[in-house]
Amino acid sequence: MNKKQTIAAFVLPAFIILLILSIYPLIEVIHLSLIDRSLVKPDSGKFVGLANFVKLFSDRRFWNALRVTFFWEVITVSFSLIFGILIALLIYRNIPSWLKGFLTLLFIMPAVLPRVAAAYSWRFMYSPLLGVFNYLLGLISIKQVEFLADRRLALASVALIDIWQWSLLLSVIILGVLEAIPEEPIEAAQIDGVKRWQLHWHITLPIIAPTLVSLSFLKIIESFRTFDLIYVLTKGGPGIVTETIDLYAYNVGLALEGNISYGASISFIMFLLTLVIANILWMVLKHES
Amino acid sequence: MKANSRFRIKDIFLYTVILFIAISAVFPIFWTLLNSFKFMKDIISPVPRFIFTPTIENYLRVLRLSDLKGALLNSFIVSTGSVVLGFVFGVPFAYAIARFTFRAKENLKFWVITLRMMPPVASVFAFIYLWLNLGMMDTYFALIFSYLLITIPTIIWLSIEPFRNVPIEIEEAATLEGLSPFRVFLQCALPIAWPTLIGGVLFSFILVWNEFFLAFTLTSERMTLPVAVGAYAVVGMQIAWGEVSASIIMLSIPPLILAGFFRKSLSSYFIIRS
Repeated sequence: MNKKQTIAAFVLPAFIILLILSIYPLIEVIHLSLIDRSLVKPDSGKFVGLANFVKLFSDRRFWNALRVTFFWEVITVSFSLIFGILIALLIYRNIPSWLKGFLTLLFIMPAVLPRVAAAYSWRFMYSPLLGVFNYLLGLISIKQVEFLADRRLALASVALIDIWQWSLLLSVIILGVLEAIPEEPIEAAQIDGVKRWQLHWHITLPIIAPTLVSLSFLKIIESFRTFDLIYVLTKGGPGIVTETIDLYAYNVGLALEGNISYGASISFIMFLLTLVIANILWMVLKHES
Repeated sequence: MKANSRFRIKDIFLYTVILFIAISAVFPIFWTLLNSFKFMKDIISPVPRFIFTPTIENYLRVLRLSDLKGALLNSFIVSTGSVVLGFVFGVPFAYAIARFTFRAKENLKFWVITLRMMPPVASVFAFIYLWLNLGMMDTYFALIFSYLLITIPTIIWLSIEPFRNVPIEIEEAATLEGLSPFRVFLQCALPIAWPTLIGGVLFSFILVWNEFFLAFTLTSERMTLPVAVGAYAVVGMQIAWGEVSASIIMLSIPPLILAGFFRKSLSSYFIIRS
């Protein structure tokens, strides 16, 4: 067996399965988005061209979902990263290593929890009558806050759970990156008596900046997964103020209307969006190396 | 003396902040754990109760529910199935990326990581349509096959580095002994890479164990544990918090236990290098 055949034998089985699993959904999503198939109408399915996309363009609930997703992205990506960096810098070269090992184990726990489980735990804490938040607010005589039912608070309350999971995880990842950078510049600066925050601002952060950039692109893509959290906590409500793309696609494509073609046209847009961001990430990485 | 006391104050501040963060990290899980052992009267007390008479009634009741029991079994079958297949297909692929040089390598890597990143909403309707048309909706096969889209890329991604770290001399020596590339892979590389590689395998197990969106849309009878727990969110307005807490804990035990084993893989999963 020559070298080419050997490589093919190692690569092809997985390659073929992944090809089926990636090409098929893409073709099917495109196909569905060009017809008018509905799960509740057995005789539906005729070719309609780009009608689904034209309809999306003037669909106010779709634009709402885009806007909600955009806010969701901004809040979760920025706060997760900022807190992640701050926590990592707080721990870095500051505490004994046994404590660091213990803390990193503690900090990855929220991230490995099933999102459904995390969502219920927080839903209880957010509860107006039973929740610990309202208990604490009650102690300083602030009257009941409806974290999940208040139009102004709902999205932020759900986002806090995502930030809770991700900032702690990112802090562990960033700490690992920090510990891999060479000691010399930092020690030299410390001998010169530079203050800790100055040291980080001028030396440590610039060194890890490329990693932070790629982590933020990754978090942008990961933040598109909102279904489990939103479904358990608000189901898109109150009204549609927390209805992200995930939820809207599910509602319109399956649960409420069964309009699978219309749902598929949203899928296609999400596919393109993810592909664009992944490509930017890849270009950034290529540029670095 | 003065410097010393300033140092002290800084330390007190540092450890107070760290303590606060550590408590925030575990409090929601800790509180759910307490609730899972409480009678309803202790759960609904307006003042949070740390001290109460514990009961395992919630767990017993959850395990008596046929839905939950079935879902627990389904979760094990589906997660194990998709991870075993992901391993069989993904690991040789990762070995080829780590050891052989060929033209399409960089593009293949990018493709694999992009597949891993695709949010489920991008493919969910295609899968629904596919399994409906094949009459295979709500089967183990449908969910396991769909989950290969998660396990194969994840296992590939996390196995490349472990294979790269296998000393090349050992493999070269084995090749000189006359072992075929497959024997070298199976008898030398895999056993040596195994201790670090297993972290990625366990991590992929947790990804599918936790998965909700696809399981929720592709199953009803064969629903997995997250879906069964998610169903509590619909039944009426009143949530049976004792039962919910107990089932959340059951759902969370595998990831929390395995976290210690794959914590190293977790970082390499998110640090992407081209």
